Amino acid sequence: MLYSLGISFFEFDRVAGKWNFLGLGNYKEILSDKVFWSSILVTGVMVGVALIVEVVAGVSLAIFFGQKLRGSKFVRAILITPMILNPVVVGLMWRALLNPQWGLFNWFIGLIGIDSPPIWLADPKWSLWTLIFVDIWQWTPFIFVVVFARYQALPTDVFESARVDGASPLKIIRYITLPLVSSAVVFAAIFRGIDSFRTFDLVYGLTFGGPGRSTTTLSFYSFENGFVYYRYGFASALSYIMVIMATIGFSVLLKWIPVRRNH
Amino acid sequence: MTTLSRVASRTVSYVTLIVIAIVGIFPIAYLFLLSTKRRIDIGDVPPSLKIEWSVVVENYKEVLFERSYVSSTINTLIITSVVVILSLLIGTPAAYTLSRLKIKGSERISTTILSLRFMPPVAVAVPILLSMRFLHVANTRIGLIIPYVAFSLPLVIWILIGFFDEIPTEIDEAAEIDGANKWRTLLQVLLPLVRPGIVVAGIFAAIFIWNEFLIGMYVIDSEALKTVPIADAGLISAQRPIDWNVAATVGVVTLIPLLIGSMAIQKHIVQGITAGAVK
Repeated sequence: MLYSLGISFFEFDRVAGKWNFLGLGNYKEILSDKVFWSSILVTGVMVGVALIVEVVAGVSLAIFFGQKLRGSKFVRAILITPMILNPVVVGLMWRALLNPQWGLFNWFIGLIGIDSPPIWLADPKWSLWTLIFVDIWQWTPFIFVVVFARYQALPTDVFESARVDGASPLKIIRYITLPLVSSAVVFAAIFRGIDSFRTFDLVYGLTFGGPGRSTTTLSFYSFENGFVYYRYGFASALSYIMVIMATIGFSVLLKWIPVRRNH
Repeated sequence: MTTLSRVASRTVSYVTLIVIAIVGIFPIAYLFLLSTKRRIDIGDVPPSLKIEWSVVVENYKEVLFERSYVSSTINTLIITSVVVILSLLIGTPAAYTLSRLKIKGSERISTTILSLRFMPPVAVAVPILLSMRFLHVANTRIGLIIPYVAFSLPLVIWILIGFFDEIPTEIDEAAEIDGANKWRTLLQVLLPLVRPGIVVAGIFAAIFIWNEFLIGMYVIDSEALKTVPIADAGLISAQRPIDWNVAATVGVVTLIPLLIGSMAIQKHIVQGITAGAVK
């Protein structure tokens, strides 16, 4: 880690094969780089939207599966599968599904009457939302598993006495279930948030940062500089900015959570 | 509630359940289907469900042998096992120490270890490559194993601390009174108790390696040493159009070991996540 901090002050000269000292040059260049700012925006939108949807969907799923329907165990097994899949393969898979010529997804929504769907991945207006959608598909199960595990561990008598007292199912969820699982939700959300902040492999598989810069996340931008353009110093400096952002974000979150718990 | 409305709500629940199942499984099923098609048949909408076995054999032969996925898979299995074993060998005593021995600052050490998880892999890929070059192990299995162990350890240690913390300290004390030293307590008394934790930690480390390709892409150049995810990533390049039947077959070949693994150990996965959540 210190090593990478070190090289973030340098620039690698491939022709001469040596390192030139730049001081804060890399950092200055990043801060005046348009792509950097756009990738912050992309990352921000992605983390924000995906996280909110995943938490809401994951918690709803957990409550839904609390009903113990027949066959739900089997469906649960299916549901866990997306999150253990290799994100690059997930990206490829969705690229096939969303293919403008023969993707099954467009055929499917054609059946319900949408005839001219957008070109999901190639249209800068839609590509980020498509990326977010796939992220949601893959990672909602994570929130679900964590919350569901906590939900299952709760003592059942609380629910029973509430039911005996005549509380409606919605009221039980609002006043009993949600407060009791909230710590698990927070835990899952933090982990998800951090992981989605560094999302790289899904972008790699799905859109390769494009079209244009519409899906270039910070992680992907750093990868591109390091691996495609061999700008190791620049890539390291960029990752350091990410680490700093993550640390600040994380400590702010940690401060905020206990506050929430008191309510 | 009347019987009718109960039936209605049951039906709604089951329909929802089926929809969830379809949304979860459908893309994966589609991948399987595509892997049974000829290149020219990919464009059929909707794809026909008829499977020609000769095409299946052809696709899989190309991926398994010509693209040497057999050797990649074996390679990944070797690397995964070594990394999992090493991380557990180092991680278990470390987790025990952090959970039990009252070392000054052990709280801080464990949070530091956990915070390593928040590092984006991109941030360390380049330094790792340069360090591995420095050690003269770039483009070797060892050059991949060292960083993978380093990456798995925080996760392994962190999961295991949770399991060690759940065991009441009275058990340690009883063992000590019976004359066991710390190592014997760990090996003979505590280890059997945290066995589920060890399984879980191992699984998580394995999943991580099966999906990791970024560091691998930096470290490994030679075809023969590529792991499955690294080979997968090589399939995508921004310029060349993708052969979808081959890509789908590659996808299936990558998924199958994971699917088999996850079906076998599903319970442990849930348990592992819970162990984290309880903390």
